[in-house]
Amino acid sequence: MKIEIFDPAMCCSSGLCGPGVDPLLIKMNETVLALIKQGVEVQRYNLAQQPKEFMANKKVAELLHKKSKNVLPVTMVNGEVFKTGEYPCYEDICSKLGIKTFKNRPLTVIS
Amino acid sequence: MTKYIFFSGKGGVGKTTMACATAIHYALHGRKTLIVTTDPASNLADVFEQEIGHKETPISGIGNLHAMEIDPDEATKEYQERIIGPFREIMPDDVITSLEENLSGPCTTEMAAFDRFIDFMGTDEYEIIIFDTAPTGHTIRLLELPVDWSKHIEESAQGSGQTCLGPVQSLQDSKDKYDRATSLLKDTERTDFIFVMRPEELSLYETLRASKELETIGINSGEIIINGILPEEVCEIEFFRKKYEAQQKIIKKTETAIEKIKRYMLLRDNEVKGIDALKGVAMELFKEGVEGQRFWIKKHKTEDTRLKTEKSILPSGKPDIEKLLLPSGGTKAIFFTGKGGVGKTTISCVTAVYTAQKGLKTLIVTTDPAAHIGEVFDVKINDESTKITENLFGVMIDQDKAFIEYKERIIEETRGKYSDDMLAAMEEELNSPCIAEMAAFDKFIRFIESSAYDVIVFDTAPTGHTLRLLDLPFDYAKQAEMMIDTTEGAKTKRETENRFQKIIELLRNPKQTVFCLVLYPESTPIIESYRAMIDLKNAGIETQLVVANMVLPEEVCVNDFFKNRLRMQMRYLREIQNKFNLPVLQFPMMQEEIKGLNQVIKAAVIF
Repeated sequence: MKIEIFDPAMCCSSGLCGPGVDPLLIKMNETVLALIKQGVEVQRYNLAQQPKEFMANKKVAELLHKKSKNVLPVTMVNGEVFKTGEYPCYEDICSKLGIKTFKNRPLTVIS
Repeated sequence: MTKYIFFSGKGGVGKTTMACATAIHYALHGRKTLIVTTDPASNLADVFEQEIGHKETPISGIGNLHAMEIDPDEATKEYQERIIGPFREIMPDDVITSLEENLSGPCTTEMAAFDRFIDFMGTDEYEIIIFDTAPTGHTIRLLELPVDWSKHIEESAQGSGQTCLGPVQSLQDSKDKYDRATSLLKDTERTDFIFVMRPEELSLYETLRASKELETIGINSGEIIINGILPEEVCEIEFFRKKYEAQQKIIKKTETAIEKIKRYMLLRDNEVKGIDALKGVAMELFKEGVEGQRFWIKKHKTEDTRLKTEKSILPSGKPDIEKLLLPSGGTKAIFFTGKGGVGKTTISCVTAVYTAQKGLKTLIVTTDPAAHIGEVFDVKINDESTKITENLFGVMIDQDKAFIEYKERIIEETRGKYSDDMLAAMEEELNSPCIAEMAAFDKFIRFIESSAYDVIVFDTAPTGHTLRLLDLPFDYAKQAEMMIDTTEGAKTKRETENRFQKIIELLRNPKQTVFCLVLYPESTPIIESYRAMIDLKNAGIETQLVVANMVLPEEVCVNDFFKNRLRMQMRYLREIQNKFNLPVLQFPMMQEEIKGLNQVIKAAVIF
């Protein structure tokens, strides 16, 4: 089980750097932590820091050329493009992977 | 093996002059020498009277000598290009643009300038490399950076493997580089630190502080140059005699307080500019002059009449201080900026006392990591607002404390909303040196945003760094714009954008914010302040006042030495008038250093 997330160019994927805490990134970060706990392999690439990886992945490179940067973030599940333009939610990823949602994960509250 | 010599010290003590003279000394002795400045507001070109810029430039007239001014913007471009370059051809334009935008944030700029600086610590192309650094506080920060980054990379390697600079793996090389630089800095065989100071209380205090701070990161070497000592024979006038005696007292104090090799430099009757003048300084510094030769005093024919005529052309009338500095609805923010050592802190303190005396609730804030407002008022100022006198409060932004508070606040706000794993991951990420800058800035704007005071006086760090600080709201506004626009994130994005937009508007509103430049009537402070004014103008901020500090009182300048200095000042006061085209407030040189609340109150009469 492998998830790869190709983030747009940003300071850091945690959402804590810069002008304010980005709740969306925090939520994604938490999703990632939960998936790792469930034994899913997760790789994250930040365009600003690892542009090479974006070109090395044929599917991502092609998407970038066709639809430009608005296609990011791109989430791939087991090598297939799963979601583009926004982050998927935890439940969707679990159902795609065919695993149960992690019971002990307290829900992230976003006001 | 290359030898590295760092010049450090409070702003305006003559670091650049001493560094240049030292560079000339070694070059004249046949050593291949490079002088590099890391000060974003560099004066090397002015001192050498030739263009230098962001490249190793041979200095004409001196073989073996090269100079370079690290330009933070250029360094950032180079840093960007190293990362983006390989992708220019193969990625769509808008992806490249977004990469460029992202790699121009505050963090990258700091990293890039540092990277360029550290590059020189690995080269063997020169025998001697002299670093003319930015004023103390920031230099120490620069030298601590490799330690901080190295630690951050190490910690992250054990945790998420992600740092805000990128994945740990790709940073291992950088970490090695930082570690090498750190060990080189500590190597007393290869690295020397020279502190330049003036025979003044504040300068001694800062030298002691800086040398202690360097010791805490393991840097122990050092020499002291005491610069600007009044020659005894020119002090036959009461006014200067008293100053001379005060200086001698501080020199004695320095001798007992600091056990380092010391060199002594006398004040000259004119400024040091150009190669010949620098050669003279070098000879004096390394005691190569003929014994007893007094080349700092040039005999000039004094023409009293000319002196008077020059004075009469000077700006007449005092600026309308009341109109400029007192609020007219809403809080008024007053910023003082300018070259290091021109007396920003003193002028800020005097201003704060002036507005407080007008019955306005005033807060004086310092953002200078080497804060002195407490020294001037003779009261303890810390990161909590402290009452100094009726209507007057003082506070210091302590970057380390701001950092801890900021982290705690974020963790507190998020506690209960997220899992423990998430909290742990967040804490790790929050330890980045990037966040430290954000935290200090956050604290700084909270003062601007609050309406708890009628007047807030900001005593800021020297020009280059102040401009960087003021760039931050623009940078952050832009970053907020780039936040991903989704229904969930939209609210945060909008709020953040609005917040920074409001701050920018506030800074640009001349009724709410006043920018004042403080300078000496001398060449380099004028050039540096002028650049600052242009930079501010480009950001839509108008400067409204120039304070010319340390103007010699005419009636005490009765011998050749001081007549020459006064004549030099007159020439520059005229230049200030023509060049800035702003109201100029002349602030006279006082017989005693302005220290203690009573002295500040006395000085406030000038307003």
